[in-house]
Amino acid sequence: MKRVVITGVGAVSPLGNDVPSLIEGIEQGKSAVQYMEGWEQYTGLRSLVGAPAELKDEKSIPRKSRRSMGRMSFFAVQATQQAIADAGLEQKELSSGRVGCVIGSTMGGAESLNDAFETMLPEKDLSQLTSMRFFQCVSHTAAMNVSQYLGLTGYVMATSAACASASQALGAGYDIIRLGKQDVVLCGGAEELHPTVTGSFDVLFATSVNYNDIPHRTPRPFDRERDGLVCGEGSGILVLEEYEHALMRKAKIYAEIVGYHTCGSGAHVSQSNKDAMVFCLREALASAHISPGEVDYINAHATATMQGDKEEAEAIRDIFGDEVPVSGLKGYIGHTLGASGSLELIVSLAMMEKGLVYPTLNLKTVSPDCEGIHHVMHPLAWDIRVMVKNCFAFGGINAALVCKKVNHQ
Amino acid sequence: MTTEQEVITLTNQVFEESFEIEKEKLQPQMNIFEDLGLDSLDVVDLVVALQKKFGVKIRDDERVRSIRTLGDIYQFILSLKTEWKS
Repeated sequence: MKRVVITGVGAVSPLGNDVPSLIEGIEQGKSAVQYMEGWEQYTGLRSLVGAPAELKDEKSIPRKSRRSMGRMSFFAVQATQQAIADAGLEQKELSSGRVGCVIGSTMGGAESLNDAFETMLPEKDLSQLTSMRFFQCVSHTAAMNVSQYLGLTGYVMATSAACASASQALGAGYDIIRLGKQDVVLCGGAEELHPTVTGSFDVLFATSVNYNDIPHRTPRPFDRERDGLVCGEGSGILVLEEYEHALMRKAKIYAEIVGYHTCGSGAHVSQSNKDAMVFCLREALASAHISPGEVDYINAHATATMQGDKEEAEAIRDIFGDEVPVSGLKGYIGHTLGASGSLELIVSLAMMEKGLVYPTLNLKTVSPDCEGIHHVMHPLAWDIRVMVKNCFAFGGINAALVCKKVNHQ
Repeated sequence: MTTEQEVITLTNQVFEESFEIEKEKLQPQMNIFEDLGLDSLDVVDLVVALQKKFGVKIRDDERVRSIRTLGDIYQFILSLKTEWKS
């Protein structure tokens, strides 16, 4: 099997439209969560908070490329361009057939999907649908638009596993490169904030509803006063590259991906399941040949739902006890759903580089049902050589990635 | 009633708004594919935009297939208006 390293990162996030602004916002303890003006018009929508990203500079993309892009595809394209520039990949390589992309999302372009229905359904009339609606809203819209715009001629795939979409994209890219099928795969996720997306969690009583007047205090992962998730949006893209290929290019190596596992709970579509999480984490560690004691940091999924946080804390406690620092990032940027696995991995790589664990924002008093693990509640100077990134999605789908610092760099 | 000049103005608006084509290029002899850069997907959107702009239904009209120039569109829309009038 080939070795796989991360050689580039790019992000459009609720805290800014590049990686440095995302990291800076987190280091300053900023929350991107805000009251969503206009959402009160939706009867039955109780959660009126979100973490929006800013859509900008999309007009710099030529019309014929831009026309098939919805909001999430713009985010993905811009994040991918950053990642490619960061990795120093050249255009001729992108079109060599040896570079691909795997980019996931929860449901494709929610805004375009909604617009299509609004056009079509009132009169049950399809004649006003434009040619681009399909391309803007399908579940592979981000992967398709990234590959077309950037001239990628390798693998093009889209994962769709709700909040584990980006992690599965990274895992798929990892496997593709390990098998020698591609030299480079641009991996991650993209998501857009829309009342229909928040609403789909709201009807399940999974959203935060008590902080509409004080949005920056929610979500509250692992906290006694947590009351649910807050949706966010953006895109995080990482350049995964075959190790020797990266060495030959003298590329900067952020970390090596040494383990990955994804699995279903086989138990319930929405209720998190500790046993399935434990299994996923153990399999990921086993595939990396790493024991729990060798892990220096865990970036938790930590959505701030009542049950999800409890199950995750129990799973971490079962495997790692209270030795390994744990933090989550959704207090800063909300739950970016299909993009969360990659955006949060990018931030975790910054922690690894800086030797610093960013604390869980809004975690003030650890909930009794989340105790027994090493919660990081203040910035913590910490040497991170091995870390684990968790993603536990609706649908009972779990994913865990294990990353390791490359020593000789 | 829509005059010839109104048809030209409204059609040109569609090309500016939907296809971001500069006003100076919008001359009747311009080939919408070769000169103005539209492709088959754009034609779908052109039909939708013209339907909306003029309140007509032309999606299944065979004459759309023979349109080549901007002038062809002006004439096509005008002929629709004449047909309706008669």
